[in-house]
Amino acid sequence: MRALPLVALLAIAAGCGGTKPPAAPSQTSLQSQTRHADAEQRAAMLLRAGDLEGAARQYGEAARIAATIENSDSVAANAINQSIVYQWLGRDADARDALARVLDDPRRPFSERRRLQAELRRAIVDLALQNPVSAATFAERAAQRCANFSCEYAATILNVQAQIALESSRAADAEQLATRAAERARSRNDRAETANALRMLGKARRAQNNAAAAIQPLEQALAIDRELADPRKILADLTELSLASSAAGNRDAAKDYYERAVTVSRALRDTRGLAEMEAQLRRP
Amino acid sequence: MTATFVPPKRFARLVLKVNAFLLIALLLGAAFIGLVAYKQGWFVHQTQIHFITANALGLNKGMPVKLYGFTVGSVSGMELSEEGVDVRLSIMSDYMPRIPKGSLAKHSREAGVVGAAVIDIVPGKPGPALAQGERIDFQPSRSIAEYIDDIRRQAVPAFNELKNVLGQFKGSGEDIAVSLHSLRKEMEALPQTHRDLRNLLSTAERTVAEANTALKSAERAMASIEQAVPELTTKAGSAIESIDSAAQQLRATGAEAQGTIQKAQPVLERGDAVARDAGEVFNAAKRVWPLSDSFNEITDRDLPIDSFDSRSKAPKR
Repeated sequence: MRALPLVALLAIAAGCGGTKPPAAPSQTSLQSQTRHADAEQRAAMLLRAGDLEGAARQYGEAARIAATIENSDSVAANAINQSIVYQWLGRDADARDALARVLDDPRRPFSERRRLQAELRRAIVDLALQNPVSAATFAERAAQRCANFSCEYAATILNVQAQIALESSRAADAEQLATRAAERARSRNDRAETANALRMLGKARRAQNNAAAAIQPLEQALAIDRELADPRKILADLTELSLASSAAGNRDAAKDYYERAVTVSRALRDTRGLAEMEAQLRRP
Repeated sequence: MTATFVPPKRFARLVLKVNAFLLIALLLGAAFIGLVAYKQGWFVHQTQIHFITANALGLNKGMPVKLYGFTVGSVSGMELSEEGVDVRLSIMSDYMPRIPKGSLAKHSREAGVVGAAVIDIVPGKPGPALAQGERIDFQPSRSIAEYIDDIRRQAVPAFNELKNVLGQFKGSGEDIAVSLHSLRKEMEALPQTHRDLRNLLSTAERTVAEANTALKSAERAMASIEQAVPELTTKAGSAIESIDSAAQQLRATGAEAQGTIQKAQPVLERGDAVARDAGEVFNAAKRVWPLSDSFNEITDRDLPIDSFDSRSKAPKR
């Protein structure tokens, strides 16, 4: 009978242990999908509202949630989007790191299209980071996935390769690649890449001391970019036109393009771009 | 014997204590009601708009109204009207400038087919905002039957194509591996054909321009030719697109045919190579016709990859 209080105490203690609330259930599939869809929706909304920082953060979050539900396609899509937004923010190194989710994970079953997109983006970011060697490697990988340059990104790949050639002082190759890029872009009615290719063609011709022949493609690029209403590209076209006109000996035209470029740059409040443009124009 | 009643000490100033208690209770009650009202948005100025729907199935009072995924109001009431059901929406007035005239209210779900039902506002073209009491157009949600019907409508032509292809294969007695290989080669040649056609068109344009300078008297005729050339280009473009889409359908059909034939015809034992080809096209087909809506969502969410971003920020030395 002496043991009775002890037994009672143990029983109470056991009872206390038994009343522990059950662990919170893990997230249901529906909750995860909803959070994933919400993050993607928020990213798109913030992007529309011009909050690039917020959009980049949400794309990262969407990629993270997609990884938890093993949605590889969404992981890749959101990582690539995050990389693009980081680059718009001028954070090129972050843009490169965002792509690691796709490029540094050979085990995950990303589709060929997503791998191509990530490699192409990496080539673009590497070029922006002034690393043409790495850019060439990734552009080549992307080109291998785009059989016979017949995929939707053919013109973009060729334009990137043309830029690499130009950066490597191979202006003749750059001209040839830009011509092919223009052809591909036109065949797909891709106006943005058509304009990029024409701008590249103008640059390549000027680099070969054929400034007079550079004017026409640059004017065509400007016309397209004005239709697309992309101020960054309009500024680049006007700068190139000013340089080409100056090299061709047409000082009046060069001055006119220069003044237009300055007006666009000021309206863009792009002080850094303005300084870069002026440095470029002052260079002999 | 007169005994006067002496109240106990603890009842001293009883009335005062009771009144203080009641006052505190009243204040707490009012604070609680105020908090609830604040949480319910009673202190936020609301603007009422409404829409008419044929029926109110799936609509409830209190249902959230969303704009770009944000809750901006709720369904404040519903009543029968001559046209159907008049549904009133209370929108926080701060958000009204974002809802211009011509906007649309859609009954949708937060995660596609499943998820909580909401009223989604799709803003119209920029312009003056909707005013108090104005009517907005309404688009009811699609039922499961409509989704299935949509899938059926898209699937039937593909199955018919499959039937035709099977019939042709059976009739010709050709080896399907050879046929699919030829088909693939033809499809690979399509971009080249497309390019050649465009080259031909640009040559035609140049020829027309030369004729224009040589024959001034033919200027009027030239103008009409110049008008006709873009039309011709468009038509040729759309024809090529049709060929492309037909080829895509054939690829999808070929994939389906592969699965069926492997079961039905042991003749096709050499189908492994074909199966690999078909696997690729089947993956594409899965994304195209049965769930085309989902496919669109995937492509829409991708930001454009633009080679312009490759230019370096620092000027090259």
